Formats: sequence, structure tokens, C-alpha cells
Amino acid sequence: MSDWTFKELEEWDDKICNLARSYDLDWYPINYEVCDYYEMIGHMSYHGLPSHYGHWSFGKSFERTHQMYNLGAEGLPYELIINSNPSIAYLMRENPLYLQILIMAHCVGHSDFFKNNRIFKDTRADSAVSRFRNASKRIREYSENTNIGLKRVENFLDSVHAIKFQTERNGMKRLSKKSIKDKRVRIINDDKTGKNRNTNLDKYLLEPDYDLLSFLIEYGNHFKDWQLDILNIIRDESHYFIPQIKTKILNEGWASFWHYKLMNELDLPQEYHIPFLKSHNQVVQPHTARINPYNVGFYLFQKIEREHGLDECFFIREVHDDVSAIRFYLDIEDFRELNLFSYSTKKDSVTIDEISDEAGWTKVRESFLKNVGMNSMPRIYVSDTSTPGRIVLKHDHDGRDLDLEYADNVVDHIRSLWSGDVNLFTIVEEESWEI
Amino acid sequence: MSIFRNHKTSADRSATDRGRHKEKIRKALREGIHHIVSDESIIGKDGKKKIRIPVRGIKEYRFVYNPDGNKKVGSAPGKKIRKGQKIGQNKNKSKKQESGKPGNEKGEEFYDVEITLEELSHYLFDDLKLPELEKKRFLDIVGDKYKRKGYRKKGIRPRLSKKETLKRKIKRKKSHMLHRSGSADERFPFHESDLRYKHIDIHPKENSNAVIFFIMDTSGSMNHQKKYMARSFFFLLYHFLRHKYENTEIVFISHATDAKEVNEDDFFKRASAGGTLMSSGLEKCLETVKKRFHPSSWNIYTFHCSDGDNWPEDNERAISFSGKIKDICQLYCYIQITPPSGPSNYWSSGGMAKVYQNISDSKFKIVHLETPDDIWIEFKRIFGGKLS
Repeated sequence: MSDWTFKELEEWDDKICNLARSYDLDWYPINYEVCDYYEMIGHMSYHGLPSHYGHWSFGKSFERTHQMYNLGAEGLPYELIINSNPSIAYLMRENPLYLQILIMAHCVGHSDFFKNNRIFKDTRADSAVSRFRNASKRIREYSENTNIGLKRVENFLDSVHAIKFQTERNGMKRLSKKSIKDKRVRIINDDKTGKNRNTNLDKYLLEPDYDLLSFLIEYGNHFKDWQLDILNIIRDESHYFIPQIKTKILNEGWASFWHYKLMNELDLPQEYHIPFLKSHNQVVQPHTARINPYNVGFYLFQKIEREHGLDECFFIREVHDDVSAIRFYLDIEDFRELNLFSYSTKKDSVTIDEISDEAGWTKVRESFLKNVGMNSMPRIYVSDTSTPGRIVLKHDHDGRDLDLEYADNVVDHIRSLWSGDVNLFTIVEEESWEI
Repeated sequence: MSIFRNHKTSADRSATDRGRHKEKIRKALREGIHHIVSDESIIGKDGKKKIRIPVRGIKEYRFVYNPDGNKKVGSAPGKKIRKGQKIGQNKNKSKKQESGKPGNEKGEEFYDVEITLEELSHYLFDDLKLPELEKKRFLDIVGDKYKRKGYRKKGIRPRLSKKETLKRKIKRKKSHMLHRSGSADERFPFHESDLRYKHIDIHPKENSNAVIFFIMDTSGSMNHQKKYMARSFFFLLYHFLRHKYENTEIVFISHATDAKEVNEDDFFKRASAGGTLMSSGLEKCLETVKKRFHPSSWNIYTFHCSDGDNWPEDNERAISFSGKIKDICQLYCYIQITPPSGPSNYWSSGGMAKVYQNISDSKFKIVHLETPDDIWIEFKRIFGGKLS
């Protein structure tokens, strides 16, 4: 049974909002949905979106989350807020009041981050909920359409999911074939030296394409309308989520930074203070041999406030993502303080490669950055389609080899999407490898 | 100011997707079933008991880095660390060595699926059937099959379910107390609407008058491994028959130098010793047919498991009996278990299978089992399922 009433939530919300406003936080209005445990993890499986198309993988995600919480692997408070205007956040009915207050303060931080970080500017928070609802409706219609059917839709989704993040990840605008051609023509025309005269403009693919999803959408003229629609839906969804992937540390850091600050200034009743601190410490504690984004993010903002003032913190939340912030703001002292180290698996044991000392910390940082945000996912691009109907994919190899079993299967998915020859070139143990 | 409201939930939102996921797991289970079949632990389990089997999670493929070559970063809260320090075992490697099974590689998730043997039989046997089940003479007893099926409000007295009725009453009492704050001591009589009767469904039942002979060689040369394979095969066969053909008769015969008709328990558990006279088992089979199952009205199937090691002097008799059995059977299978390892001087030259070679045809099948994995493959071959 809960120890609070809606009225109490509203009163505390007022206090939180007033305090947050006095610090110039600027967030979307928040709609809190009070739900139970099952509803909570139900929504978590769909990334908190109130409406989302169905696919078995979300059922799997539910089972896994459920299993995880059941095993007590995560004793953390459940917190879930989505990037939309208004923001939708979920509060679990079973939580005690002090925890609800903490989560509400935390959500204000997230919503402010969504609204102000530049990487999020194309996520169209105003229409997010309705976009996902419409997409979900359309996909359901395709499954119910007797000419298409669940099986086909599901298989198609399986394949598209396999490459859903193989799309533009840096917010650059992709050029269509026509605009690339126009650009090339301009270069040739402006070129007095004649060096560019011999450019072959009839090539199928003029430039390598780093956006595999868009490539399929533009060049795959065999797709039916419903398939194109699904490709676009998934691409849109990836672009909605990529900013969150890229700012996991900053976003959680910012939210934790603010819940901590606000809670300390809220005049909490004495009996809430200790449980609050306990929960807070649990959330931001470092995890052994892993990176806890709450931990690193909270540390970062606290340090910046201490050394450079609050304005600098606001600046970071506006312009940085995890990679740039780590590179820019964390130095050897911080790496030492966080006691970061890099490790890898060799033969039959896991061994520490570098620790954050004078000699090793930049290497630790390099490994860290490789596993942050989108860097943790290999990048595959379309390099050539010299033979019509055949695409050649290349892996942007940065020293890390692909998992070949997975790669084989993904390439199979791409083949079924492209319905033609697909080859992937990569490097395995320093030798080139073709799939 | 923020808005608070109770979440309006229509239904369990992920139910459909969980269902689909479960279906996929079951499908995976079905496809990997021969691994399960050859797992010793299920042999001898009773049909209703649940067994827990780990089923590999359904993978969602993405481009990912090979975890072995990818340096990870972590924090070491409050610990002193140094370069080159070992901080753990390579789980994938050590696991692999333990179980010796392929597929335990990195990142594999396993879901425990609880399943009864009945359900397992359902997956295993649904597309298999006994071949050539002719309708022999209409001795088929067409009778009624009674099956319990839920509860009804109306019924005859003898079928009153006390338990269900009491449950209704308790339910009614509880809600009564909730709404009208009655006291718990108050007398609360049964009401007409509490009564529940067991409902019984009647199905017409057709008997398929088939008899299956299980003949197993239990001579001394049938070592643990061979016996285990023979049992696995018979176990599968047994559950297959029980699952698909409820009214088939099964006759268990075990033999070394002389044959005995035994009950099911003894058949699956009996120890073995002695030499082998194959003809003894076959003779017993013929004898039983003569006594109880006349071929004109019974579909007869015979399965004989052996390691093929017979006394050479007995071969003539065995051939002659086998010929007779073949003539009266819909299907006669001789299953020879010859593990690739293990010393032998006789069956390495082909054993009984070789002796039988000339009389083998579509009604008399000779099956070789070498490894436990063969069991399911051969089983499917015999009963006409698609090989997956």
C-alpha cells in the first residue's frame, strides 16, 4: 500500500518545479502516470512509449527485465520518462513518497535535457507520441491485411531490426543520388584544371553510403509500399533513439545531479532524508568492472560545478554528448578518482590491460570512448554497387573485429531485404574477410 | 505544473508479443528436440511430470563486436588494481569445456522451459504415424470415451463437485462480508447457485486394434551405452504410441538366450546377462501372436533392438522366424545398435543386420544406431516424419 496521496505528489511537484525554475531549468510539462509493477516493465519493454508496434522481441525484453528484477539483479528504483512534449513519466504505485519525490526531481532533469541538448533538436518531441501511435496502427493494419499477414510483417521486421542502427549516426544530412550527381556536375563545371573531367557519373552508386537504411529505401525499388513504410518507421525510430544512446551518461548524470541538488534544498522531512540518501547512493554508485552511467555522469557534473560553476554545466547539457564530454572534461585525475581500467579476455582469463596511471590512462580513455554511445556498435557502409543488383558492404574497421556468427546472420537479413547479392568485407585477425 | 493520474491500462500490453516470443521458443525447442531426446535424464520419466529443459534464447542479430577482442572499461570502486591482474575466468571457454556441447558460446541466453512429457510428445510425434495401418476386420470396438471437461451449474447428484461448490460458497461469503460487513460467525448456508457439477464429455472412440511387440536383447554384450540407446528408442516409441494410438496393445519381450514376456517396468529396468539367441525372442513373439493376436484381425508391429551379436548357430532359426514375422506384420524393424567405439569381433563384420540383409524389404526394415543423435533421426525415418 502506498503511503502517499495524489495531493501530496502535487504539492511536492509544486515545490520541485518552483525550485527547478529558480535554477533556470527549462523542461517540457510532465505527465506522470501512476502504474503498478507489471505495467511498468510492460512500458519499459516498449521504451516507455505509450503506443508502439508489436514484435516478439519486445516480449522477450519483457521476460528478461522481469527475470532480472526478480533475481534481484537490479534493486534500483524504476524510473522511466520519454522524450516527448509533454514528457510522459511513469511512477510506480508501490514506491514510498520519498522515492516518488526523488524520481520526480530526476525526471525534471531528464526532460530539461531532452528539451535543450542540441543533439535532440531533430527528434520532434512534439509529435513523438502520435508518430509512434500512427506507426503502430499502420503496422498492425499490415499484419491484419490478408494480403500481407503477420508472418510476413514479422519476418520483415526481424530483418530490418537487424540493421536498425545502421543509419546516419551523426545527424548529418544524407544526400540523395540526384543531389550527389548535381554536386559532382558542379565540381566538374567549376573545375578549370580538367582533373575531374573523367568522373563517371553513370555509376550506380556515386559515393559510399553510410546510411544503409536510407540506401535501401532509395535504391530498393522492389519494395512494396508497406515494406517501404516499415523501413521508414524503423529509421525514424532509430533517429529518435540515437540521441539518447549518445548521451546516456550526460543525460543520467544531469538528472542525478539535479535530483540530488533539488532534494537537498527541498526541506525534506527528517525521516525521508536518510532513505533518500541511501537510494541516491545506490543509483550513483560505481559498478565493479562496468561503467555505471549514473556514476560517471553525476561525477562529471559535480566536478564541473565545483571547478567551473553551474553555467558550465548548463553549457555541457546544451552542446555535448558523452564522447565529447569525456574527451573534454575528464582528465587523469578523474580517471584515477573513478578508478577506471580497461580489460579484455585472453585465452581463459579476463585480464586488466591498462589502469588509470600516468602511462595508461589515455589508453583507458581510448577504450572507454570506443564503448560509449554509438561507438559500441560497428559501422557498416555501402561501398559499391558496381555490378547491378549486387551490393558491397564494408565494415569501418577500427581495430575491433566483428562477431562473425552475428555478422553472417545480419548479412543474410540484408540479403533478404535487398533480394540480391550482398557481400560484406571486413578484417578478421588482421586479414581481410568476406561474407 | 505536472499532471498526475492513475494509469489507465487496457490490458497487459506485452501479452501478444510475449506469446509470440514463447511460440518462437517452443519452435526452437521443437527444432532442437533430438538433443533433448538423447538426453538421458528424460528416459523413464512419467508422462505428467514436468521436466525443465534449457532452451537457447532467440537471438536478435545485429552487427556486434567480437567480445574477445574488444577491450572493455570498468570502474574498480575502492580496489587496488594493477596492470596484468587477472580478474576473472573466461566464462565462455570454461563453460564449453564443462559441458562439451557446442553452442554455449558468448552471449547465449537460456530460457528454462517447463514442459511435460505429454507436451513434448505432442511436439515430437504430431506429424508421425504408424505406417500401413490397415483397417483389418471390423473387430474395432467402437465405444464411448469419457473425458472430464470443466464444471457446469446443472447436473446429476452423483456428479456434484463438493470442492467447486464449496469454493463458490466461500467466494460468495467473502464478497458478502465485504459489501455488507457481515460477521464471520454468522451462519452462511449453501445456495442453489453455489452448486457445481462435474461435466463429462463423451467422445466416440475407435480402437485401432494394433499390437506392438517390443523385443529387446538383454544379453551380456549389451553394455550400458547400448542398453541406454535401445531404451531411448523404445521409450520414444512407447510415448509415441501412447500419444497417438491410445488403444494399442504393447507386448514387451526381453531375451538373452531365452525369452520372457515382461511388464513395462521390468522391460525398461531389467539388468542383462548371458549370451544371445535371437531366435528365442522372435519365437516368443510368434507364439504370442498365435495365442492372442490373430493376424487377420490385428495390425502387428514388431521392433527388435539388439547389438547384432548372435550365436552363429542360431542365425538360421532367426532368419526363418524373421521371415514369418515379416509375413504377419505391417512393419517389422530390426534395430541394430553398434556404437562406433567399443571392441567387437563379430558385429564389426555387420552382425545380424548383415545376416538379415537378404530378407530385408519395405516391410522389414533394418536400422542402424551408432550415436544417441541417430535415435531421433532414424525414428523419424521409420514413421515418416519430415526430417528437420
